[in-house]
Amino acid sequence: MKESGLRNSCKDMKILAIETTGKYGSASVIDETGLIYSAASSEEMNHLRGMITLIDAALRAAGITKNELTHVAASVGPGSFTGIRIGVTTARIMSQMLNVPCIAVSTLEAMATGALDKAISSGALYVVPVINARRHQTYAGVYEAVFTSDYEHQSAVPVMEEKQYMIEDLLEELKCKTAEYSGAAAFFTGDGIDAYGDIIKSTMSEGSYLFADEELRYQHAESVAKIALRKAVRGETLSYNELMPEYMRLAEAEQRLRAGTLSDRIRFPAK
Amino acid sequence: MKDGRFLTLGIETSCDETAASVVADGRFVMSNVISSQIDIHTAYGGVVPEIASRKHLERINDVIGKALEDAEVSPKEIDLIGVTYGPGLVGALLIGVAAAKAMAYACDIPLVGVNHMHGHIAANYLEHNELEPPFMALIVSGGHTEIVNVPDYNKCEKLGGTRDDAAGEAFDKVARVIGLGYPGGPKIDKAAKEGDPDSIAFKRVYLEQGSLDFSFSGLKTQALNYLNQERQAGREINVNNVAASFQEAVVEVIADKAVMAAERYGQKRIVMAGGVASNSRLRALMEEKAGSRGIDVLKPSPVLCTDNGAMIASAAYYAYRSGVKPDLELDAVPGLEF
Repeated sequence: MKESGLRNSCKDMKILAIETTGKYGSASVIDETGLIYSAASSEEMNHLRGMITLIDAALRAAGITKNELTHVAASVGPGSFTGIRIGVTTARIMSQMLNVPCIAVSTLEAMATGALDKAISSGALYVVPVINARRHQTYAGVYEAVFTSDYEHQSAVPVMEEKQYMIEDLLEELKCKTAEYSGAAAFFTGDGIDAYGDIIKSTMSEGSYLFADEELRYQHAESVAKIALRKAVRGETLSYNELMPEYMRLAEAEQRLRAGTLSDRIRFPAK
Repeated sequence: MKDGRFLTLGIETSCDETAASVVADGRFVMSNVISSQIDIHTAYGGVVPEIASRKHLERINDVIGKALEDAEVSPKEIDLIGVTYGPGLVGALLIGVAAAKAMAYACDIPLVGVNHMHGHIAANYLEHNELEPPFMALIVSGGHTEIVNVPDYNKCEKLGGTRDDAAGEAFDKVARVIGLGYPGGPKIDKAAKEGDPDSIAFKRVYLEQGSLDFSFSGLKTQALNYLNQERQAGREINVNNVAASFQEAVVEVIADKAVMAAERYGQKRIVMAGGVASNSRLRALMEEKAGSRGIDVLKPSPVLCTDNGAMIASAAYYAYRSGVKPDLELDAVPGLEF
């Protein structure tokens, strides 16, 4: 993007952010001043049916029409494969049809950002978004609250890679981290708490962990919007075909094909 | 609208084809883009739902874009969007539905959901511009073997269907076992042309007297047992003969029942639909059996037999015209009935 174009778009931004990777869907609109308007579903896994209604409600709350949007951002995962696809497909098509760029936002980074204020006020050093991927697996990352260069805001900076962890492995690594500073606590957020809360409690030492309250534990488009605004200002935009899901996992059949263990019981036994 | 014609965009992602098409006045195909994933799924011996869903997402924008471009229309000129919302693979369906809704919302175009099976029937409206209901429909595909009475554009009465495997499914399984591979239908059709349909006595399963239902699992088992037995006896298997005999056993029953249904309901036309409707032996046998009773057989060209967006656009056009309300809260319904 040309510099003049960038400056121009910084002046007047209206970014739609979509979050469908978790249990509850939501949509937010953020403008260049950071003002956010949102709509969220209270129905679980209602993403496909409810998405357009949420987007429309967020736009109405912001008092703008879809034609005034300058960017469309999506939480691209990790999370529910189906949920990711609904959000990313919606964002890609809206971007194509409205002729505006896309912005990809990591779901884990958005969750860390959403929990940041509460983590800081609780005195935690690390923010740990954990998504339940079943059978002791998680998608997780570890972030540290760091002041931005203007010392006005704090942002979540990754200190451990976003990837798939077995919950036990994640906690082992985290224990080493919290042990580096005495009294350093980790602030957990995400539905990983619901699934692995007991494991976290029994592994982490007393006082070294905190859990996000249920009302800010789950993915929300507001955090997606905040990160999207920063990326838009930096010009980190994509074309609709570049907006891709971050599944963090191959399809099971593909894993087996690569490992050479694809079932062929239907095939006629070789002689 | 363009040049006074009502334009419908049809979107289809229920299985392994990402497809979109622009159809004018419900009848005239202006573009028909089909991006098949067959090459990808062949390595797995069948469609892998998770992989199909991922590929649909990657391809949907360009498929819709190309459908508009080939038809030389802009999104603003589209009057209606139709999308398959079932039956099909849920993960695959929802890409089409999410895309259709996002486009309908972004461009202020009404959206209606289309039953994939109604779409297959509507493929005939595109091929035969004079065709109007009533008629009898025979739908044969990888997932379906159904006889449907069509008294009106938006009425479909299912008279019979398979109780176990669909015809296409049976073709796929037997093709795999005799080493022809996936997709089985076209491969069996080809091999059968070189074989003798009377060489192996596979049974014809008609079920109860007068039933319009089908059952192919017993026939499939019989074919597997035959192959086992021959291999154990050390006899060489003539793949072409197996394909021809098996195919004959499947299509003969289908043709007989379709003709029986048309006669029972006094229909003078049978329209064929679905992927297996392009099977050359089924087409020939249908003409032979129906023709001798004064019943016409209509069938779409092979490109309209496979899953495509044009048939969805046509079905959407007639649904919308008959008063089906546009719906931006449309959901995918994988087990959608007729």
